[in-house]
Amino acid sequence: MSVTAPLIDPRLPVARADDAREPISPQDYAKFCDFFYRKTGIMFGANKAYFAERRLQDRIAATGHAGFRDYFTMLRFEIGGTEMQQLVNAMTINETYFYREDYQFDALVRHVLPGIAAERAPGTPIRIWSLPCSTGEEPYSIAMQILEHWSQADRYDIEILASDIDSRALADARAGVYGERALHRLPPALKQRYFTPYGDGYRICDALRGSIDFTQVNVADAATMRRYRDIDVIFCRNMLIYFDEVSRRQAVETLYDSLRPGGVICLGHSESMSRMSSLFAPCRFGTTILYQRPVDHD
Amino acid sequence: MTEPHSHGKRILVVDDGMTTRLYYRSVFEAAGFVVEEAANGLEGLERALVEPFDLLVVDVNMPKMDGYTLIERLRGDAAGQAVPIVTISTEAGTSDAERALEAGANLYLIKPAAPAALRHYAALMTGVAA
Amino acid sequence: MALIEARRAAPQAAAEATPPTLDTLVAQLGSPVASERRAAVRALDAHEDGIPALCDRVAAEVAPSVCEAIMAALVRRASAAVVAALLPLLRDGTPVQRNAALEALAVMPEHVAPHVAALLRDPDSDVRIFTANLLSVLPHPKAAAWLVEALADPHANVCAAAVDGLAEIGDARALPVLAALPARFPDDSFIAFAVQLASQRIGQ
Repeated sequence: MSVTAPLIDPRLPVARADDAREPISPQDYAKFCDFFYRKTGIMFGANKAYFAERRLQDRIAATGHAGFRDYFTMLRFEIGGTEMQQLVNAMTINETYFYREDYQFDALVRHVLPGIAAERAPGTPIRIWSLPCSTGEEPYSIAMQILEHWSQADRYDIEILASDIDSRALADARAGVYGERALHRLPPALKQRYFTPYGDGYRICDALRGSIDFTQVNVADAATMRRYRDIDVIFCRNMLIYFDEVSRRQAVETLYDSLRPGGVICLGHSESMSRMSSLFAPCRFGTTILYQRPVDHD
Repeated sequence: MTEPHSHGKRILVVDDGMTTRLYYRSVFEAAGFVVEEAANGLEGLERALVEPFDLLVVDVNMPKMDGYTLIERLRGDAAGQAVPIVTISTEAGTSDAERALEAGANLYLIKPAAPAALRHYAALMTGVAA
Repeated sequence: MALIEARRAAPQAAAEATPPTLDTLVAQLGSPVASERRAAVRALDAHEDGIPALCDRVAAEVAPSVCEAIMAALVRRASAAVVAALLPLLRDGTPVQRNAALEALAVMPEHVAPHVAALLRDPDSDVRIFTANLLSVLPHPKAAAWLVEALADPHANVCAAAVDGLAEIGDARALPVLAALPARFPDDSFIAFAVQLASQRIGQ
């Protein structure tokens, strides 16, 4: 998987021309890059230096530090990872929309689902979990992708589970109403087939709304997580990278337990298990890396 | 940065030591190679599976996945059959060398590998004129 | 229809038999089946008295998925006892165990601190190397100073590991000691390179 940093987010604050913040020295920038790469696996190339330095200056200012040295010391020593989370947030893109990172949906219907079908009798369940599902774009995208592009979809009982810690996001997801921006990557044919105009936006059709199981889940709550079992595919994108190390280890363990042996988990574009856990085996599907819970136990 | 006369051949250096990775980077860039890095065996395997490289230089002892396992898994994938692989280890025993070669490495070197030797083997294994 | 109707209610917990006793779980840690051992570890992680049994088990466990589960449990309950259980793995553990232990120790700085001096004097140079590696990621205010102390080590690879760590966390105090190092290992081009890199990173 690529480890280059993603796009500049136009919504983040832009430094003004009269910004008096101290520039970051090349040595300090190198130290920062080493640290960030060690922690996240994300490496900033020369072409991203301007972006990364500005975001770094934003964080130094936002945390009220005099300069890089003080900020870096705080960052390295903090327990609980709050500033690290903010920093990762500042360096990556968080926007959700339909068909985001669709190369993984391609891998799902071209490789993962056929692989499951090859070993499973028709009529049996296939369980897919979107976690965190936020306002629903991801699970609805999965549903559309399967209906549109997996010829064997009708032969199996496909359960799509979708969970988030945020009950308001879940309420929005169940309502299924979205603005233009959320649909900007959606092929027009799909927009036509699965959405109807609704106020200033669009509403997803009843059939899809009724087929996603939206539940409130806190990944850190082991008791709730234990109820999710024998999952075939988990989409866990852009969540784990924001956890502190201790919480993240716990989350990875519970996700592993929820997958059936041979099941796969998909992370976000900037995320890699290489900084999280060695429980999963990287599997190549085309040019996409997904992570598999081994079939044989050790 | 790569030398102006770079032939564009790409080496992935997989080692958990930052200084070691930069050391190899300086050695290979001086010979015109483009160098990418991975900080552990799992990251190395991920990158080697989906990105094109002309040579892998792989440390044996690494967190998350050791060099032997990286090589075995890579050779087990259609995308990882052809790429030449050099393993570098502190272990001088023949059983370690055998293990690396059985896993699918092409060459086993003992640390510390002299810069001249590294460049020589890299040129040889990537088909660059010496 | 391919996509089945969503249930109205969230998945329910399976009807549970009486939860296993601590003794049962501890016994299960010795099962020949790795998945059973892992299940025992996960249950002990959730058990308020489970940690001592996990500390006892860690040296004997070599299956990676079980080892990972034990470490995930131990890092949540950082303590002197947990560190005492992990330290022997630096010397006697398999590479998997050792790396897992180092990752766990790296998030327990205040409990690791009392052991650092002894680790840096360990007769086994590998232990001293691993300690230097650990210090470079240990969020402790004295980590950089300990690495400077490690620069006096007689073994070149220990010094190299210390220099590598100082490139990431070193400050100006390290500079004179770094500058003096290549003279002790005059034929070592890696040490020369490492000192130059660390000095550059420390800057000014």
